[in-house]
Amino acid sequence: MAEATAAAPPEWATKEPCLMGIDEAGRGPVLGPMVYGCMYCARSYNNTLATLKFADSKTLKEEQREELFESLKVNSSIGWEVDVICPKDLSAKMLKKSKVNLNEISHNSAMGLVRKVLDMGILLAEVYIDTVGDPEKYRIKLTEKFPGIKFVVAKKADSLYPVVSGASIVAKVTRDRALRNWVFDETALNMHMKTGSGYPGDPDTKQWLEDHKHPVFGFPTLVRFSWGTCTPFFKDAVEVTWETDEIDEDATNNGSAKRQVKLSSLGFTGFKRKTEEIESSGKGRCKFFQARKLELVRKFQ
Amino acid sequence: MEHATPPAAAAGGVTATVDLSPAATDLGGAHHLPCGIKQNGGAPVSDYFKPRSTGVEVEGVRVEEAFFRGRKLQGATLALPDGYRGYVLEKKSGGKDKQNSDGEVSNFVARAEFQNITYWNHDTTPSAEDSLPRCFHWLTVANAMHKPVTSEELANMSAMQNQDN
Repeated sequence: MAEATAAAPPEWATKEPCLMGIDEAGRGPVLGPMVYGCMYCARSYNNTLATLKFADSKTLKEEQREELFESLKVNSSIGWEVDVICPKDLSAKMLKKSKVNLNEISHNSAMGLVRKVLDMGILLAEVYIDTVGDPEKYRIKLTEKFPGIKFVVAKKADSLYPVVSGASIVAKVTRDRALRNWVFDETALNMHMKTGSGYPGDPDTKQWLEDHKHPVFGFPTLVRFSWGTCTPFFKDAVEVTWETDEIDEDATNNGSAKRQVKLSSLGFTGFKRKTEEIESSGKGRCKFFQARKLELVRKFQ
Repeated sequence: MEHATPPAAAAGGVTATVDLSPAATDLGGAHHLPCGIKQNGGAPVSDYFKPRSTGVEVEGVRVEEAFFRGRKLQGATLALPDGYRGYVLEKKSGGKDKQNSDGEVSNFVARAEFQNITYWNHDTTPSAEDSLPRCFHWLTVANAMHKPVTSEELANMSAMQNQDN
Protein backbone atom coordinates (compact mmCIF):
# COMPACT_ATOMS: atom_id res chain seq x y z
CA MET A 1 0.00 0.00 0.00
CA ALA A 2 2.99 2.34 0.33
CA GLU A 3 2.88 5.03 -2.30
CA ALA A 4 5.81 5.51 -4.59
CA THR A 5 7.54 8.81 -4.08
CA ALA A 6 10.88 8.19 -5.74
CA ALA A 7 11.62 6.01 -8.70
CA ALA A 8 15.25 5.26 -7.83
CA PRO A 9 16.99 5.48 -4.46
CA PRO A 10 19.51 8.24 -3.92
CA GLU A 11 23.05 7.06 -4.60
CA TRP A 12 24.37 7.75 -1.06
CA ALA A 13 21.64 5.53 0.37
CA THR A 14 22.95 2.44 -1.38
CA LYS A 15 26.58 3.06 -0.38
CA GLU A 16 26.49 4.41 3.15
CA PRO A 17 24.73 2.92 6.18
CA CYS A 18 21.47 4.80 6.77
CA LEU A 19 19.26 5.79 9.69
CA MET A 20 15.51 5.80 9.35
CA GLY A 21 12.70 7.16 11.49
CA ILE A 22 9.11 5.92 11.35
CA ASP A 23 6.07 7.71 12.73
CA GLU A 24 2.33 7.77 12.33
CA ALA A 25 -0.43 10.36 12.01
CA GLY A 26 -4.15 9.88 12.55
CA ARG A 27 -4.17 6.76 14.66
CA GLY A 28 -6.84 7.96 17.07
CA PRO A 29 -9.42 9.98 15.09
CA VAL A 30 -12.74 8.46 14.09
CA LEU A 31 -12.34 9.53 10.48
CA GLY A 32 -9.87 9.79 7.64
CA PRO A 33 -6.81 7.72 6.80
CA MET A 34 -4.07 6.58 9.16
CA VAL A 35 -0.71 7.48 7.65
CA TYR A 36 2.65 5.92 8.38
CA GLY A 37 5.63 7.90 7.20
CA CYS A 38 9.34 7.25 7.21
CA MET A 39 12.35 9.40 6.59
CA TYR A 40 15.91 8.23 6.09
CA CYS A 41 19.36 9.74 5.64
CA ALA A 42 22.98 8.64 5.72
CA ARG A 43 24.34 8.13 9.21
CA SER A 44 26.88 10.87 8.55
CA TYR A 45 24.08 13.35 7.82
CA ASN A 46 22.35 12.89 11.18
CA ASN A 47 24.15 15.79 12.89
CA THR A 48 23.16 18.17 10.11
CA LEU A 49 19.61 16.86 10.30
CA ALA A 50 19.45 17.84 13.97
CA THR A 51 19.93 21.48 12.94
CA LEU A 52 16.95 21.48 10.54
CA LYS A 53 14.32 22.07 13.24
CA PHE A 54 12.25 18.98 12.50
CA ALA A 55 10.49 19.10 15.82
CA ASP A 56 7.66 16.70 16.67
CA SER A 57 4.93 17.58 14.19
CA LYS A 58 2.33 17.98 16.94
CA THR A 59 4.17 20.98 18.37
CA LEU A 60 4.25 22.75 14.99
CA LYS A 61 1.59 24.79 13.25
CA GLU A 62 0.11 23.46 10.02
CA GLU A 63 1.92 26.06 7.86
CA GLN A 64 5.26 25.25 9.51
CA ARG A 65 4.74 21.56 8.85
CA GLU A 66 3.84 22.22 5.21
CA GLU A 67 6.97 24.34 4.84
CA LEU A 68 9.22 21.74 6.47
CA PHE A 69 7.70 19.00 4.32
CA GLU A 70 8.43 20.99 1.16
CA SER A 71 11.99 21.61 2.34
CA LEU A 72 12.68 17.96 3.09
CA LYS A 73 11.22 16.95 -0.30
CA VAL A 74 13.85 19.03 -2.09
CA ASN A 75 16.66 18.02 0.26
CA SER A 76 18.74 15.52 -1.73
CA SER A 77 20.29 14.10 1.44
CA ILE A 78 16.91 12.89 2.69
CA GLY A 79 14.61 10.14 1.45
CA TRP A 80 11.04 9.42 2.56
CA GLU A 81 8.05 7.16 1.97
CA VAL A 82 4.45 6.99 3.18
CA ASP A 83 1.81 4.31 3.65
CA VAL A 84 -1.74 5.65 3.59
CA ILE A 85 -4.29 3.29 5.12
CA CYS A 86 -7.71 4.55 4.11
CA PRO A 87 -10.54 4.52 6.65
CA LYS A 88 -12.53 1.86 4.83
CA ASP A 89 -9.56 -0.51 4.99
CA LEU A 90 -9.19 0.22 8.71
CA SER A 91 -12.90 -0.49 9.31
CA ALA A 92 -12.85 -3.57 7.11
CA LYS A 93 -9.81 -5.09 8.82
CA MET A 94 -11.12 -4.43 12.30
CA LEU A 95 -14.58 -5.83 11.40
CA LYS A 96 -13.32 -8.92 9.59
CA LYS A 97 -14.36 -12.38 10.67
CA SER A 98 -10.87 -12.78 12.09
CA LYS A 99 -10.43 -9.27 13.39
CA VAL A 100 -7.15 -7.43 13.01
CA ASN A 101 -6.62 -4.91 15.78
CA LEU A 102 -5.22 -1.44 15.30
CA ASN A 103 -1.84 -2.29 16.86
CA GLU A 104 -1.37 -5.09 14.37
CA ILE A 105 -2.38 -2.85 11.47
CA SER A 106 0.13 -0.26 12.74
CA HIS A 107 2.93 -2.82 13.10
CA ASN A 108 2.26 -4.17 9.62
CA SER A 109 2.31 -0.71 8.11
CA ALA A 110 5.65 0.15 9.78
CA MET A 111 7.14 -3.18 8.71
CA GLY A 112 5.81 -2.60 5.20
CA LEU A 113 7.77 0.65 5.05
CA VAL A 114 10.96 -1.05 6.24
CA ARG A 115 10.46 -3.79 3.64
CA LYS A 116 9.84 -1.23 0.91
CA VAL A 117 12.94 0.80 1.72
CA LEU A 118 15.08 -2.37 1.90
CA ASP A 119 13.69 -3.53 -1.45
CA MET A 120 14.76 -0.22 -2.96
CA GLY A 121 18.31 -1.20 -2.08
CA ILE A 122 18.82 1.24 0.76
CA LEU A 123 21.44 0.25 3.34
CA LEU A 124 19.36 0.43 6.50
CA ALA A 125 21.47 0.16 9.64
CA GLU A 126 19.26 1.69 12.33
CA VAL A 127 15.53 2.31 12.56
CA TYR A 128 13.95 4.59 15.17
CA ILE A 129 10.26 4.24 15.84
CA ASP A 130 7.59 5.44 18.23
CA THR A 131 6.16 2.52 20.13
CA VAL A 132 2.77 0.93 19.61
CA GLY A 133 1.96 -1.36 22.50
CA ASP A 134 4.82 -2.69 24.60
CA PRO A 135 8.16 -1.24 23.34
CA GLU A 136 10.29 -4.30 24.10
CA LYS A 137 7.85 -6.77 22.50
CA TYR A 138 7.61 -4.52 19.47
CA ARG A 139 11.40 -4.29 19.25
CA ILE A 140 11.72 -8.08 19.33
CA LYS A 141 9.02 -8.45 16.66
CA LEU A 142 10.83 -6.00 14.39
CA THR A 143 14.24 -7.52 15.01
CA GLU A 144 12.99 -11.03 14.24
CA LYS A 145 11.45 -9.79 11.00
CA PHE A 146 14.50 -7.80 9.94
CA PRO A 147 17.63 -9.29 11.48
CA GLY A 148 20.68 -7.13 10.92
CA ILE A 149 18.89 -3.85 11.52
CA LYS A 150 19.17 -2.16 14.89
CA PHE A 151 15.72 -1.08 16.07
CA VAL A 152 15.21 1.58 18.70
CA VAL A 153 11.60 1.56 19.91
CA ALA A 154 10.73 4.37 22.29
CA LYS A 155 7.84 6.35 23.66
CA LYS A 156 7.85 9.88 22.24
CA ALA A 157 10.52 8.90 19.72
CA ASP A 158 9.26 11.79 17.58
CA SER A 159 10.60 14.32 20.09
CA LEU A 160 13.80 12.39 20.82
CA TYR A 161 15.20 11.62 17.37
CA PRO A 162 15.28 14.18 14.53
CA VAL A 163 14.84 11.40 11.98
CA VAL A 164 11.54 10.41 13.67
CA SER A 165 10.46 14.08 13.89
CA GLY A 166 10.97 14.23 10.14
CA ALA A 167 8.93 11.07 9.62
CA SER A 168 6.22 12.56 11.81
CA ILE A 169 6.03 15.62 9.55
CA VAL A 170 5.85 13.44 6.44
CA ALA A 171 2.98 11.45 7.98
CA LYS A 172 1.06 14.40 9.39
CA VAL A 173 1.25 16.54 6.25
CA THR A 174 0.21 13.58 4.09
CA ARG A 175 -2.83 12.93 6.29
CA ASP A 176 -3.84 16.61 6.40
CA ARG A 177 -3.62 16.82 2.62
CA ALA A 178 -5.60 13.60 2.20
CA LEU A 179 -8.39 15.09 4.31
CA ARG A 180 -8.25 18.46 2.55
CA ASN A 181 -8.53 16.80 -0.84
CA TRP A 182 -10.97 14.10 0.26
CA VAL A 183 -13.39 13.01 -2.44
CA PHE A 184 -16.40 11.19 -1.03
CA ASP A 185 -17.25 7.82 -2.53
CA GLU A 186 -20.83 8.63 -1.69
CA THR A 187 -23.00 10.86 -3.81
CA ALA A 188 -25.45 11.84 -1.07
CA LEU A 189 -26.32 15.53 -0.90
CA ASN A 190 -25.05 18.13 1.59
CA MET A 191 -21.87 16.37 2.66
CA HIS A 192 -19.08 18.64 3.88
CA MET A 193 -15.57 18.41 5.31
CA LYS A 194 -15.87 20.46 8.50
CA THR A 195 -14.79 17.37 10.39
CA GLY A 196 -12.88 18.94 13.24
CA SER A 197 -10.04 16.90 14.73
CA GLY A 198 -11.85 13.58 14.55
CA TYR A 199 -11.75 13.14 18.32
CA PRO A 200 -15.00 12.61 20.24
CA GLY A 201 -14.48 15.66 22.46
CA ASP A 202 -14.44 18.00 19.46
CA PRO A 203 -17.86 19.66 18.90
CA ASP A 204 -17.12 20.01 15.16
CA THR A 205 -16.51 16.26 14.92
CA LYS A 206 -19.73 15.52 16.81
CA GLN A 207 -21.65 17.85 14.52
CA TRP A 208 -20.07 16.32 11.44
CA LEU A 209 -21.05 12.80 12.56
CA GLU A 210 -24.56 14.03 13.29
CA ASP A 211 -24.79 15.65 9.83
CA HIS A 212 -23.55 12.56 8.00
CA LYS A 213 -25.22 9.65 9.75
CA HIS A 214 -27.69 7.59 7.79
CA PRO A 215 -30.19 5.14 9.32
CA VAL A 216 -29.38 2.36 6.83
CA PHE A 217 -25.82 2.95 5.66
CA GLY A 218 -24.38 4.34 8.87
CA PHE A 219 -21.83 6.85 7.60
CA PRO A 220 -19.82 7.68 4.50
CA THR A 221 -16.68 5.53 4.18
CA LEU A 222 -14.58 8.46 5.47
CA VAL A 223 -15.60 7.21 8.91
CA ARG A 224 -13.96 4.34 10.77
CA PHE A 225 -17.00 2.28 11.64
CA SER A 226 -15.02 0.19 14.11
CA TRP A 227 -14.42 3.18 16.41
CA GLY A 228 -16.30 3.48 19.69
CA THR A 229 -17.01 7.12 18.81
CA CYS A 230 -19.54 5.82 16.25
CA THR A 231 -21.49 3.67 18.69
CA PRO A 232 -23.86 6.34 20.09
CA PHE A 233 -24.78 7.33 16.53
CA PHE A 234 -25.90 3.79 15.71
CA LYS A 235 -28.45 3.78 18.53
CA ASP A 236 -31.31 4.95 16.38
CA ALA A 237 -30.01 3.39 13.19
CA VAL A 238 -31.65 0.41 11.50
CA GLU A 239 -30.43 -2.83 13.07
CA VAL A 240 -28.15 -4.92 10.88
CA THR A 241 -27.21 -8.51 11.76
CA TRP A 242 -24.47 -10.34 9.92
CA GLU A 243 -24.42 -13.96 8.88
CA THR A 244 -20.69 -14.09 9.67
CA ASP A 245 -21.28 -12.88 13.26
CA GLU A 246 -23.81 -15.67 13.53
CA ILE A 247 -21.18 -18.31 12.75
CA ASP A 248 -18.90 -16.86 15.42
CA GLU A 249 -21.62 -17.00 18.00
CA ASP A 250 -22.59 -20.53 17.09
CA ALA A 251 -19.02 -21.63 17.52
CA THR A 252 -18.61 -20.04 20.93
CA ASN A 253 -22.07 -20.60 22.41
CA ASN A 254 -22.75 -23.95 20.82
CA GLY A 255 -25.70 -22.55 18.96
CA SER A 256 -27.63 -21.54 22.05
CA ALA A 257 -28.00 -17.91 21.15
CA LYS A 258 -29.00 -17.00 17.63
CA ARG A 259 -29.67 -13.48 16.57
CA GLN A 260 -30.03 -13.97 12.85
CA VAL A 261 -32.92 -12.13 11.28
CA LYS A 262 -35.69 -14.62 10.89
CA LEU A 263 -37.02 -15.10 7.43
CA SER A 264 -40.48 -15.08 8.98
CA SER A 265 -39.97 -11.48 10.02
CA LEU A 266 -39.47 -10.65 6.36
CA GLY A 267 -42.83 -12.10 5.42
CA PHE A 268 -42.01 -15.69 4.56
CA THR A 269 -42.76 -18.75 6.60
CA GLY A 270 -41.28 -22.11 5.92
CA PHE A 271 -42.66 -25.51 6.60
CA LYS A 272 -42.62 -26.82 10.19
CA ARG A 273 -40.16 -24.22 11.32
CA LYS A 274 -39.57 -23.98 15.01
CA THR A 275 -38.99 -20.36 15.84
CA GLU A 276 -35.40 -20.93 16.96
CA GLU A 277 -34.52 -23.29 14.15
CA ILE A 278 -33.24 -20.80 11.64
CA GLU A 279 -29.71 -21.90 11.09
CA SER A 280 -30.11 -23.82 7.86
CA SER A 281 -32.97 -22.78 5.71
CA GLY A 282 -32.86 -26.08 3.84
CA LYS A 283 -33.38 -28.03 7.05
CA GLY A 284 -35.41 -31.21 6.82
CA ARG A 285 -35.04 -31.38 3.06
CA CYS A 286 -32.75 -33.56 1.02
CA LYS A 287 -29.05 -32.65 0.67
CA PHE A 288 -29.54 -30.98 -2.68
CA PHE A 289 -31.69 -28.29 -1.06
CA GLN A 290 -29.70 -28.08 2.17
CA ALA A 291 -26.48 -27.35 0.29
CA ARG A 292 -28.24 -24.54 -1.53
CA LYS A 293 -30.11 -23.26 1.50
CA LEU A 294 -33.29 -23.65 -0.48
CA GLU A 295 -36.34 -23.71 1.67
CA LEU A 296 -39.83 -24.74 0.72
CA VAL A 297 -42.09 -21.77 1.26
CA ARG A 298 -45.59 -22.91 2.07
CA LYS A 299 -47.08 -19.65 2.97
CA PHE A 300 -46.58 -16.10 1.82
CA GLN A 301 -47.80 -13.69 4.41
CA MET B 1 -37.39 -15.16 -8.49
CA GLU B 2 -39.52 -18.20 -8.82
CA HIS B 3 -42.73 -18.32 -10.71
CA ALA B 4 -45.41 -16.95 -8.55
CA THR B 5 -47.57 -19.97 -7.92
CA PRO B 6 -47.16 -20.97 -4.29
CA PRO B 7 -46.02 -24.60 -4.01
CA ALA B 8 -48.86 -25.49 -1.70
CA ALA B 9 -51.50 -24.13 -4.04
CA ALA B 10 -52.68 -27.48 -5.26
CA ALA B 11 -52.90 -29.08 -1.85
CA GLY B 12 -54.08 -26.33 0.43
CA GLY B 13 -55.76 -23.82 -1.84
CA VAL B 14 -54.44 -20.42 -2.74
CA THR B 15 -52.45 -18.79 0.04
CA ALA B 16 -51.24 -15.68 -1.76
CA THR B 17 -51.80 -13.70 -4.90
CA VAL B 18 -49.07 -11.87 -6.75
CA ASP B 19 -49.90 -9.13 -9.19
CA LEU B 20 -46.96 -8.73 -11.57
CA SER B 21 -48.64 -6.32 -13.98
CA PRO B 22 -47.63 -2.97 -12.46
CA ALA B 23 -43.83 -3.61 -12.33
CA ALA B 24 -42.86 -0.02 -13.08
CA THR B 25 -39.20 0.39 -12.19
CA ASP B 26 -36.59 -1.67 -13.96
CA LEU B 27 -33.75 -1.91 -11.47
CA GLY B 28 -31.53 -3.84 -13.84
CA GLY B 29 -29.84 -5.55 -10.93
CA ALA B 30 -30.57 -6.34 -7.30
CA HIS B 31 -28.12 -6.83 -4.42
CA HIS B 32 -28.18 -9.76 -2.02
CA LEU B 33 -26.27 -8.90 1.17
CA PRO B 34 -24.89 -11.33 3.77
CA CYS B 35 -26.79 -9.57 6.53
CA GLY B 36 -30.27 -8.81 7.68
CA ILE B 37 -31.31 -5.17 7.54
CA LYS B 38 -34.28 -4.67 9.78
CA GLN B 39 -36.08 -2.20 7.63
CA ASN B 40 -38.79 -2.57 5.06
CA GLY B 41 -38.72 0.17 2.50
CA GLY B 42 -36.61 2.25 0.21
CA ALA B 43 -33.03 3.42 0.74
CA PRO B 44 -30.69 5.57 -1.40
CA VAL B 45 -28.64 2.51 -2.41
CA SER B 46 -26.91 4.07 -5.40
CA ASP B 47 -25.74 7.06 -3.34
CA TYR B 48 -24.09 4.99 -0.61
CA PHE B 49 -23.45 1.50 -1.95
CA LYS B 50 -20.73 1.79 -4.59
CA PRO B 51 -19.61 -1.56 -6.00
CA ARG B 52 -16.46 -1.54 -8.04
CA SER B 53 -14.75 -4.16 -10.11
CA THR B 54 -11.56 -5.55 -8.56
CA GLY B 55 -10.16 -6.83 -11.82
CA VAL B 56 -9.74 -10.19 -10.09
CA GLU B 57 -11.30 -13.22 -11.68
CA VAL B 58 -11.68 -16.47 -9.75
CA GLU B 59 -12.78 -19.57 -11.67
CA GLY B 60 -14.35 -17.35 -14.29
CA VAL B 61 -16.22 -15.31 -11.65
CA ARG B 62 -15.53 -11.58 -11.82
CA VAL B 63 -15.06 -10.35 -8.28
CA GLU B 64 -16.57 -7.02 -7.26
CA GLU B 65 -15.96 -5.09 -4.06
CA ALA B 66 -18.18 -2.86 -1.96
CA PHE B 67 -18.46 -1.64 1.61
CA PHE B 68 -21.48 -1.69 3.86
CA ARG B 69 -21.49 -0.53 7.48
CA GLY B 70 -17.72 -0.59 7.53
CA ARG B 71 -17.42 -4.16 6.29
CA LYS B 72 -15.77 -5.17 3.09
CA LEU B 73 -17.94 -7.26 0.83
CA GLN B 74 -16.87 -9.28 -2.18
CA GLY B 75 -19.51 -10.10 -4.71
CA ALA B 76 -20.36 -11.56 -8.08
CA THR B 77 -23.12 -10.72 -10.51
CA LEU B 78 -25.30 -13.48 -11.91
CA ALA B 79 -27.69 -12.99 -14.80
CA LEU B 80 -31.05 -14.63 -14.28
CA PRO B 81 -31.45 -17.52 -16.73
CA ASP B 82 -33.46 -17.06 -19.90
CA GLY B 83 -37.15 -17.17 -19.25
CA TYR B 84 -36.88 -15.95 -15.66
CA ARG B 85 -37.32 -12.49 -14.19
CA GLY B 86 -36.76 -11.13 -10.71
CA TYR B 87 -39.38 -9.06 -8.95
CA VAL B 88 -39.43 -6.87 -5.89
CA LEU B 89 -42.78 -7.52 -4.27
CA GLU B 90 -44.66 -5.37 -1.85
CA LYS B 91 -47.49 -6.59 0.30
CA LYS B 92 -50.67 -4.73 -0.42
CA SER B 93 -51.96 -2.91 2.60
CA GLY B 94 -55.08 -4.55 3.96
CA GLY B 95 -53.85 -7.53 2.05
CA LYS B 96 -56.45 -9.97 3.31
CA ASP B 97 -58.77 -11.08 0.55
CA LYS B 98 -62.22 -10.20 1.81
CA GLN B 99 -63.89 -12.68 -0.50
CA ASN B 100 -62.07 -15.53 1.15
CA SER B 101 -63.77 -16.50 4.37
CA ASP B 102 -60.51 -17.90 5.81
CA GLY B 103 -58.96 -14.46 5.54
CA GLU B 104 -55.70 -16.28 4.75
CA VAL B 105 -54.81 -14.73 1.43
CA SER B 106 -52.01 -12.19 1.16
CA ASN B 107 -51.77 -10.02 -1.88
CA PHE B 108 -48.46 -8.89 -3.30
CA VAL B 109 -47.80 -6.31 -5.96
CA ALA B 110 -44.65 -6.09 -8.07
CA ARG B 111 -42.87 -2.81 -7.44
CA ALA B 112 -39.79 -3.35 -9.57
CA GLU B 113 -38.09 -5.98 -11.64
CA PHE B 114 -34.51 -7.02 -12.25
CA GLN B 115 -32.56 -9.24 -14.65
CA ASN B 116 -29.45 -9.88 -12.63
CA ILE B 117 -28.51 -10.33 -9.02
CA THR B 118 -25.24 -9.46 -7.29
CA TYR B 119 -24.66 -11.53 -4.20
CA TRP B 120 -22.15 -10.38 -1.63
CA ASN B 121 -20.00 -12.35 0.79
CA HIS B 122 -18.40 -10.87 3.86
CA ASP B 123 -14.67 -11.64 3.76
CA THR B 124 -14.83 -14.61 1.40
CA THR B 125 -14.21 -14.47 -2.31
CA PRO B 126 -17.26 -15.49 -4.31
CA SER B 127 -17.04 -18.88 -5.98
CA ALA B 128 -19.20 -21.32 -7.88
CA GLU B 129 -19.50 -23.26 -4.60
CA ASP B 130 -21.52 -20.51 -2.90
CA SER B 131 -25.11 -21.46 -2.18
CA LEU B 132 -26.68 -18.69 -4.21
CA PRO B 133 -25.22 -19.55 -7.64
CA ARG B 134 -25.89 -23.20 -6.85
CA CYS B 135 -29.57 -22.38 -6.32
CA PHE B 136 -29.88 -21.91 -10.05
CA HIS B 137 -29.23 -25.64 -10.48
CA TRP B 138 -32.71 -26.17 -9.15
CA LEU B 139 -34.18 -24.47 -12.19
CA THR B 140 -32.55 -27.05 -14.46
CA VAL B 141 -33.60 -29.92 -12.22
CA ALA B 142 -37.15 -28.63 -11.89
CA ASN B 143 -37.38 -28.13 -15.61
CA ALA B 144 -36.26 -31.69 -16.31
CA MET B 145 -38.71 -33.05 -13.79
CA HIS B 146 -41.75 -31.10 -14.86
CA LYS B 147 -41.31 -30.79 -18.60
CA PRO B 148 -43.98 -32.83 -20.39
CA VAL B 149 -42.55 -35.85 -22.16
CA THR B 150 -43.28 -35.86 -25.88
CA SER B 151 -44.54 -38.96 -27.61
CA GLU B 152 -41.30 -38.98 -29.60
CA GLU B 153 -39.19 -39.11 -26.41
CA LEU B 154 -41.41 -41.90 -25.09
CA ALA B 155 -40.89 -43.86 -28.28
CA ASN B 156 -37.12 -43.33 -28.09
CA MET B 157 -37.04 -44.45 -24.50
CA SER B 158 -38.97 -47.65 -25.10
CA ALA B 159 -36.74 -48.34 -28.08
CA MET B 160 -33.68 -47.97 -25.84
CA GLN B 161 -35.17 -50.23 -23.20
CA ASN B 162 -35.84 -52.86 -25.82
CA GLN B 163 -32.21 -52.67 -26.92
CA ASP B 164 -31.01 -53.12 -23.33
CA ASN B 165 -33.16 -56.17 -22.94
